[in-house]
Amino acid sequence: MKHLKLFLAIAGLVLCFTAGAQSQDAMRLNEYLVVNTDDFQDDFGQQNAWIELFNSSYGTVDIAGCFLSDDPANLKKYAIPGGDLMTKIKPRQHVLFWADNQPFRGTFHVSFDLANAKEIIFTKGDGKTIIDRIPVRHDLGENVTFGRIEDGIGSTDGSGEGWAVQTRTSPSTNNALIDKAAKPDRMKEIDPYGWVLALTAMSVVFLALILLYFIFKAIGNANIRAGKKRSAAAAGTDVKESAYGEIPGEVYAAIATAMHLYQQDDENHDEESFVVTLHHTDRTYSPWSSKIYTLRQTPQVNKRR
Amino acid sequence: MGHILDNLKAFWQFTGFANFEWGYLIMIIIGCAFIFMAIKYEWEPMLLVPIGFGILIGNIPLFAGLNVGVYEEGSVLNILYQGVQRGFYPPLIFLGIGAMTDFSSLIANPKLLLIGAAAQFGIFGAYAISLALGFDAAQAGAIGIIGGADGPTAIFLSSRLAPTLMGAIAVSAYSYMALVPVIQPPIMRLLTTKKERLIRMKPPRPVSPTEKKLFPIIGFLLTAFIVPSGIPLLGMLFFGNLLKESGVTKRLANTASGPLVDIVTILIGVTVGASTQASQFLRWESVKIFIIGALSFVIATFAGVLFVKFFNLFLKEGNKINPLIGNAGVSAVPDAARVSNNVGLEYDPKNYLLMHAMGPNVAGVIGSAVAAGMLLGFLG
Repeated sequence: MKHLKLFLAIAGLVLCFTAGAQSQDAMRLNEYLVVNTDDFQDDFGQQNAWIELFNSSYGTVDIAGCFLSDDPANLKKYAIPGGDLMTKIKPRQHVLFWADNQPFRGTFHVSFDLANAKEIIFTKGDGKTIIDRIPVRHDLGENVTFGRIEDGIGSTDGSGEGWAVQTRTSPSTNNALIDKAAKPDRMKEIDPYGWVLALTAMSVVFLALILLYFIFKAIGNANIRAGKKRSAAAAGTDVKESAYGEIPGEVYAAIATAMHLYQQDDENHDEESFVVTLHHTDRTYSPWSSKIYTLRQTPQVNKRR
Repeated sequence: MGHILDNLKAFWQFTGFANFEWGYLIMIIIGCAFIFMAIKYEWEPMLLVPIGFGILIGNIPLFAGLNVGVYEEGSVLNILYQGVQRGFYPPLIFLGIGAMTDFSSLIANPKLLLIGAAAQFGIFGAYAISLALGFDAAQAGAIGIIGGADGPTAIFLSSRLAPTLMGAIAVSAYSYMALVPVIQPPIMRLLTTKKERLIRMKPPRPVSPTEKKLFPIIGFLLTAFIVPSGIPLLGMLFFGNLLKESGVTKRLANTASGPLVDIVTILIGVTVGASTQASQFLRWESVKIFIIGALSFVIATFAGVLFVKFFNLFLKEGNKINPLIGNAGVSAVPDAARVSNNVGLEYDPKNYLLMHAMGPNVAGVIGSAVAAGMLLGFLG
């Protein structure tokens, strides 16, 4: 039972970590453009500053209710509205917000611009917990962005570690070009003979089944101990166990004796004719149509004494 | 008269005779061989009859555009084939397997789980051979799973990693599963001494209902947390088993292990068979897959038996495991366990190994599902 509790605690912990990994905490400020004269246009055909966010997790994250701001004193400057399916960001995907100070244009137009902003801050739905922040650089020039070298990787405390001036703008797409081959091809490159995958996967298969072994060994032992206690309590004394530890030897002896007696027909069993006979029985009365079985019971009146 | 002759000519163009190619005849012969093996020798008849007849259905020479072929989008066969292509038949079969499997022998003697793990070497041995024979990594993973001796898992994984090879992989997996009584015994005899074959194992202890109820829950949580990509198979397998063991969902368990699994087996068998159209199937690649499939079963049997021998080095006298149950680590349930029992009886007519062999056999089902999850995670 002790082992079971331990397992449940570990399972709970793992669950918490997994759940956390796919929460709003996984969102990252990923890239921004301050002066947009010849870059990406919004749905209204206008070129404005933009801020890109990236979902660094492998689960969908809903950012509705989170906040974007350019002012550390007012973290709730722009609340990302709920009720918009577009705020559910798919795993490892990007989302672009237009910093045009025109929030009436839709969910992805924030209520500030970057012309005089010192910092961009992304805050959790509680309005207090800062998930990510980055200072705004005004020395970048036109149509030059500042972003993470690799999507989602780097600091979240505003130190700018892992950020760099980008050689090209990449709104709503990866900052670093992914010119890697597909997963299986990479696997064949890394592991041309298949030994690495074989050893890794076999280790995992063994690990899973070894864990199951330990858990069920522990449960089995606990069950045997409980069985012994019950037997002892029922007998009022310690019953000597068989070599297998679960069924008392006396039980085996009783079964063997019973079987032996059963096999000795003349001692334990009378002779059978092995002839099955069906006797026809006439019943003149059948209650199927009797009124007495179809009527409700007559109510009885209890007289007061 | 001329008009009638024109119509007859047009009709002739639609017939199988007009569109005949030798490849179709070869496949029809293979289909008939499957049906023959199933009826004459009763080798996996539940699988080989539907697959065999499916091969006949899929290899009637067709006039393209009739919209009846399994690969013609929107045709009836194509709609039924979606269960294979999109991979929703295999988890349903796993539900049935779970609902009809008794894990008692495994719970009673959990060390048998490790034999089920060892036999999965067949999968990765086949993966390495496939890479050496020039398949890409995803195709190699799909081919490798044949070594798990688990038809639904093979279909599930190949539908995701190498859909073009699925027909050959599925037919190969099911064929070798049917041939387990032919492939495994010589290897078992080769690797064991007479003394080892005579080892008598302790009878398994009785398992309490609570343990049986806990097994699917803990088993699922643990394996799924380790390999989430195996959730469709592991989830359904353990869910089916919980239906059986909970004691309060008897009707659901009966449906899952009876009518549901029968229906899905029919559909999966016929559609997999039908997917082996000569044009898709009769390729050099298919021949290679069949060779690798045979080797994977051999490797799995070697690994299972040798692992038991190795394991015995650490076990006390009286607790030793009969290495003849090592072959049962492949998940061909219950054929592999039956093979262990039959070979054991050849040497000691009173040594019934069936219950002991069922332990590694069902562990093999779990092991192959975990291995499939790993392959999907690495290559999918």
